[in-house]
Amino acid sequence: MSGFARELRVLRRMTVAEIVQQSIYRGAWVIYMAANICVPIISLLIWRTAIASGAQLPIDERYVTTYFVLLSLVTMATSSWMAGFLAADIRLGKLSSWMVRPASLLLGFVANNLSEKFLKLFALVPMVGILWWIFRDSMNIPAGPGHWAVFVVSLVLGAILVFTIDLLIGSLAFWMDDVAALAQARLIIASVLSGAVVPLALMPDWSRGFIDHQPFRFTVSFPVEIVAGSLTGSELVTGLAIQFGYVLGFGVLARLVWSAGIRSYSAVGA
Amino acid sequence: MSGQRRYAGDRAPLDRNWLAKQRRHLRLWRRFFVQALVRETHYRAHLVTTLLVGVVQLGLGIVPILLLFGYTDEVHGWSQAEVIALAGMFQIVTGLMATFVAPNMNRMTTYLTEGELDGVLLRPVSSQFYLTLRRINVAELSNVAGGLVVLVIGLVRSDAGPSLVHIGQALVLVACGIVLLSSVWSALSFLAFWLQSVDSIGVIYLNMVEAGRYPLAFFPVAVRSFLTFAFPVAFASTYPVQALSGDVGWLPVVGGLALTAVAVTLVRMMWRRGLRTYASASS
Repeated sequence: MSGFARELRVLRRMTVAEIVQQSIYRGAWVIYMAANICVPIISLLIWRTAIASGAQLPIDERYVTTYFVLLSLVTMATSSWMAGFLAADIRLGKLSSWMVRPASLLLGFVANNLSEKFLKLFALVPMVGILWWIFRDSMNIPAGPGHWAVFVVSLVLGAILVFTIDLLIGSLAFWMDDVAALAQARLIIASVLSGAVVPLALMPDWSRGFIDHQPFRFTVSFPVEIVAGSLTGSELVTGLAIQFGYVLGFGVLARLVWSAGIRSYSAVGA
Repeated sequence: MSGQRRYAGDRAPLDRNWLAKQRRHLRLWRRFFVQALVRETHYRAHLVTTLLVGVVQLGLGIVPILLLFGYTDEVHGWSQAEVIALAGMFQIVTGLMATFVAPNMNRMTTYLTEGELDGVLLRPVSSQFYLTLRRINVAELSNVAGGLVVLVIGLVRSDAGPSLVHIGQALVLVACGIVLLSSVWSALSFLAFWLQSVDSIGVIYLNMVEAGRYPLAFFPVAVRSFLTFAFPVAFASTYPVQALSGDVGWLPVVGGLALTAVAVTLVRMMWRRGLRTYASASS
């Protein structure tokens, strides 16, 4: 257990150092987040127009509005961008110097992920707040802190899930020369299946069974649904259970792939 | 020229007149294009990946449209086929921008903060022309072809039979749209003179331009005027498609030309202002 406590201490130090380092680019974070919120706003306006002009959607205006207002926040909070960097560290041998250190290379990526999200939060929350205020009359606000607590739990689980999938793709660099195409494919597939482009509730009926149970739903759509939608108590519990299952499953898989990779690693540049 | 001191002795000016200067730049641009073409043949895999990514993006752009029209037959007078034609038109415009403009805009920070502009200023060429159009990514032209296919499919399915006049109107509008969007992107990139780094601003442009995937009529009125006058993506997709289906008057065409003239003048002025603040980075 003391090993775990030490890892946590190292992680805290590294995160603080990263925050200091990244806050140099605070202006850029604000602009990146302004860019991040553009497409959800466009989608929001389009679907509201569709509803206003009489389209018979399976979801109402309040759901659509809440969904797209929260979308940019959730996609940001659950995002991961490590695959390319991890692959480069493995390929170019930077991993070697980390193998003699008393902490994992992955800890550095966790610190980077946490610190950038921390700074992005400062930029994004005011923008989402303004958007929320503009559309305050058609927002679904769940009653009581219970829903919000579940939302936060599922947000954290979603972030771990995306990070694990990303780690899995990056780890393939132990055996493959170039994982950039795979990482790109993951982003493209995820943008549709996670609900980042269109709410999954609008997907056609024949795809229901698949759409509701595939892992990407639990990276973005599910946390948003907790706030925006009308998930029943049992749907909520089942959803959280499936989400936790995916986190566990992908976690074990990533762990296996990573240690297999470390064993087959031949230390380029050492 | 006559009042200026000359250090290299008397020499005829490079161009006889304004027209000759434009022609020289056109010749230069043709050279850039040929060079890019030759370069592209060295990286054939690049062409394939660019094409694949483009096709997937086009498909992804159509997904919301297909879903939307699964729930209704028309939205504010636009049918599914017309909106698909619009998606094709948008792909053509973004493809052309990605070919001829984007590779340059993405380098603007490097040009202005690492002093590469120094080398350009010494050359007998308009520096703004050079920085805006020097680099060409030929592979992206494949996406223009893809967009053309989607446009034709959309037009055929919506039973549009554009006359020559309508096609002419559409071409003028698309040209205006491309120049207008390039002007906006240039203006954003030229902020590098004052802000040092504009990489993140390019990302804003690329996200905002996504609004062009949908007809102008799909947006609230205030947003419509923003997308017509401030961030004029309407000229790149909505108006040309309306022209092809025969229901755009001459007003948007004339307005587009006027707006383009204003935008180009403003960007030119901004470039001159910026150049005066440029203090070189390497010398």
